[in-house]
Amino acid sequence: MSEEAELLPGTLDLLILKAVSLGPLHGYAVLSRIEQISGKRLFIEQGALYPALFRLVRQGLLKTEWGKSENNRRAKFYELTAKGRKRLQQETDWWKRASAAVTAALAARPQQA
Amino acid sequence: MIAAYLRSIARRFLWRAQTERETEEELQSHVQLRADALERGGLERAEAQRRARIEFGSQVQFKEECREAMAGNAVDQAIQDVRFSFRALWKAPGFSLVAVITLALGIGATVATFSVVNTVLLRPFAFSHPEKLLWIYSQRSDNPRTNFSLPEYCDYRDQVTSFDGLAGVASFNPSFADSGPPERVQGVRMSASAFAMLGVRPLLGRTFIAEDDRNGARGVVLISYGLWSRRYARDPAVIGRAVNLNGEMREIVGVLPASFALPNLDTEIVVPLQPDADPRRNLRNSVNFLRFVGRLKPNVTVQQAHAEFDAIRQNLHRQYPDVYTGKIGITLIPITEEIVTNIKSVLLTIFCAAGAVLLIGCVNLAGISLSRAAARQRELAVRTALGATRRQLTRLLLTESFLLALVGGSLGTLLAIWSQRMLLRLVPTDLPRIESFSFDWTVLLFAVALIFGAALACGLVPAWLLSRSDFRDALVSSGRGTAGGGLQSRLRTWLVSGQIALALVLLANAGLLLRSFALLSKEQPGFEASDVQTIRFSLPQTGYADVASLAHFYDQLHSHASAINGIKSDAVISILPLAPKSISFVHFTRPDRPPARPEDTPSTNYRIVTPDYFRTMGIPLLDGRGFTESDDGDHPLVAIVSAILAKDHFADRSPIGQRIVVDDTDGTPRQIEIVGVVGPVKQTNLETPAKADIYLPLGQMAKDGVPFFRNSAYWVIKTSGRAAGLEQVLRETIQNIDPNVAVGAVRPMAEFLVAALAARRFSLLLIGSFAAAALFLAAAGLYAVISYGIQQRNREIGIRLALGATRATILGMIFKEGALLVVGGLIAGFAIALALGRLVANQMYGVNEHDPFSFVVVCLMLSVISFLACAIAARRAMNIDPIVSLQCE
Repeated sequence: MSEEAELLPGTLDLLILKAVSLGPLHGYAVLSRIEQISGKRLFIEQGALYPALFRLVRQGLLKTEWGKSENNRRAKFYELTAKGRKRLQQETDWWKRASAAVTAALAARPQQA
Repeated sequence: MIAAYLRSIARRFLWRAQTERETEEELQSHVQLRADALERGGLERAEAQRRARIEFGSQVQFKEECREAMAGNAVDQAIQDVRFSFRALWKAPGFSLVAVITLALGIGATVATFSVVNTVLLRPFAFSHPEKLLWIYSQRSDNPRTNFSLPEYCDYRDQVTSFDGLAGVASFNPSFADSGPPERVQGVRMSASAFAMLGVRPLLGRTFIAEDDRNGARGVVLISYGLWSRRYARDPAVIGRAVNLNGEMREIVGVLPASFALPNLDTEIVVPLQPDADPRRNLRNSVNFLRFVGRLKPNVTVQQAHAEFDAIRQNLHRQYPDVYTGKIGITLIPITEEIVTNIKSVLLTIFCAAGAVLLIGCVNLAGISLSRAAARQRELAVRTALGATRRQLTRLLLTESFLLALVGGSLGTLLAIWSQRMLLRLVPTDLPRIESFSFDWTVLLFAVALIFGAALACGLVPAWLLSRSDFRDALVSSGRGTAGGGLQSRLRTWLVSGQIALALVLLANAGLLLRSFALLSKEQPGFEASDVQTIRFSLPQTGYADVASLAHFYDQLHSHASAINGIKSDAVISILPLAPKSISFVHFTRPDRPPARPEDTPSTNYRIVTPDYFRTMGIPLLDGRGFTESDDGDHPLVAIVSAILAKDHFADRSPIGQRIVVDDTDGTPRQIEIVGVVGPVKQTNLETPAKADIYLPLGQMAKDGVPFFRNSAYWVIKTSGRAAGLEQVLRETIQNIDPNVAVGAVRPMAEFLVAALAARRFSLLLIGSFAAAALFLAAAGLYAVISYGIQQRNREIGIRLALGATRATILGMIFKEGALLVVGGLIAGFAIALALGRLVANQMYGVNEHDPFSFVVVCLMLSVISFLACAIAARRAMNIDPIVSLQCE
């Protein structure tokens, strides 16, 4: 049974960028990929995905191209741009630093008297 | 990032259909892919598809959210707002029409007046760094703006160190002949170095170089933009053409830009000063006809320059004590200030008046919008329930007023542009730089800014009020007390008081101008203008070098004229009364009463006339005799003076038979006997009182005066009633005697009187119209507020009536509130008018700018109109049936 964690806003963008960084994907595949690389711990709402994708396109971090899916269906594929790649790197670094800090804070034990 | 953003915008708006299709397709493909996955998991195809579709959720919401994630939300929202506002306005044609017309007229008038202000006051002058340029006059005890003589100019030019160059400027009005009949033009003689110093760049060709000022240099001339347009139709081939100026051939070397102007001088043509070629170069006592213009050196202040100039003046005074004693100082004025000084305050007053009318109109529209919007409360409540924020509601309501302002403002601006010709005809022709009038980008930008401003003025307050939910709630429960309308009513009351205050200020201004104008038109000029025609002309240099030849010409003119039917009498004078921009005065002394100090030497207006002048112009002979044919070069010198001179300088005895010494030559002054006294005449304008005049007969004119008289004189003719075709006859008469004479247009003397009042008439017309418009709009605003108040208090009035109040009591209540409003406005307006009175003081004639009579009249007028407005509004209150109003909710 996988627990679904609530995503902080902004992390969805990060996850999408990461998912797409491994190769161009269409919308449905992005969902699957995120599920997969998070070890089935993260599920994305279908309604939340596409606005996020469109937003990333508007910001110039993704670019789109129509192509054929695995079973020969026509689908729109999303791919990282150079800018997107850079943003992914920046956000990943930030996330690592932030989460390390929070983790350390939470692991603090009460001082021994 | 920008590229991606723009592409996103393009997708949303330009390739809308394609984008929608793609989104749809993407949606479908996602659903299908999900269905495929489910099918692989074992479901039936149809079941898998159904499941996938349900999982996906609302397709409509999907599309909308995707669309919102693309760029351009604000634009989309704005387009929607515009569409909606347009429909709403279309459904209320009465209001929309009134609003558009009000805005069109208000914005149109303001833009039109601004365009004049822009051309005359705001456009950069043709000079570079004009703040360093100073216009310099000589100062006498009775006039701070008099001229220098040529030797004086050369002295100052050679000695001054605080200026980067000093140029002399004199008025020069020659006859201008190309290939055709000669025309008289008004221009200047100017030092050749002036153009480089002023930093003026020619439109075509070149300006002057130092060479042109040399004695014996080839004659050159520059023409103005106005002359170039008028006479040469802007033909670029005009450079190099030879023209005949006063008998001398000159070559046109350049065309001056349209923005070039000099203070109080017409500059249709400019010729070099050529000081060394002028015979007066070494005559210390020669005529004073020059002004200076100089550029301050970079680190020199005006005070320092003034001090140096004054030191030079005192030096000259010491060197030549007889000649320069009358000059007591120097006047230095920044050149741009001097160019506009006469009309700046008038133009700005008119501009502010137009703006005030627009403001009053906008306030009215704001009030009407409020009343209208009260009926939209349900719609707005629904929008709020559906999630509209206050900002969105405000934006929606502002869009409406913006649309109205856009349509009305564009209409008004177009109106102003189309009526350009009519506007120019109204404006007095001697406004500096008015020939370069045009609607340029500055004016258009101003119009756009005005449209935005008007939209905000009309819409901001209603939009802000209506977006408040507490306000709207109170609106819903209409009529139950005045709480809901309280804030709105109070606001509108303040606004209407403000409108009345503005209207009062405008009306007071108009009233004062009207009184000034009326008083001025009643002024007697001192002569009879009816049935008098005038022709200005100038004689060529060849053949008219001395007094005798001039006298001969006029004798022939006179004898021809006497033979023409319809001419009662005719004469010639050097300068006509009220002729613009013409000055001629001389100093004189009474030998037995020399002045206490040389600076106090009196001066008098100086005119050369033929014997019939006084009879022709209807100037009464008060004492002694007039001139006769025998007053010529072979007989003793005689003169006729005006009653003012007699009163001021011969108070003890009759001037007849007395001698005075008149300084009207470049050499020694002449002794002249006074033989007659005539009535005073207003020579320069109607506003200043008449000064001393002295008239000399043509046959006894000083030789030095021949060039001036030859260059410009007026033939005045008294006709017997309407003589049609007379103009042609007069012109032919002159041409028959000598075809080389440059003849101007025939103008009736009455036209000079009208022209003297032209500027005032213009100002009065415009401000009067604006004041009337302001009065009407303020009254309309008052009516609207009172009506609205009555409407709001329908229930309350019904209750009062039911409880026994009489109609009279109700009426009294309404009038009392209206009166309070009006009185408040009058007091505020009065205060503003007092404060601003100083600014328009220089436009008044014969009345104080705080004239109590005018104010009282205007207050009364406003009160009466306001009373009428209240009365009409209150009629509605009379028809309230208490039963109906109590039932209606």
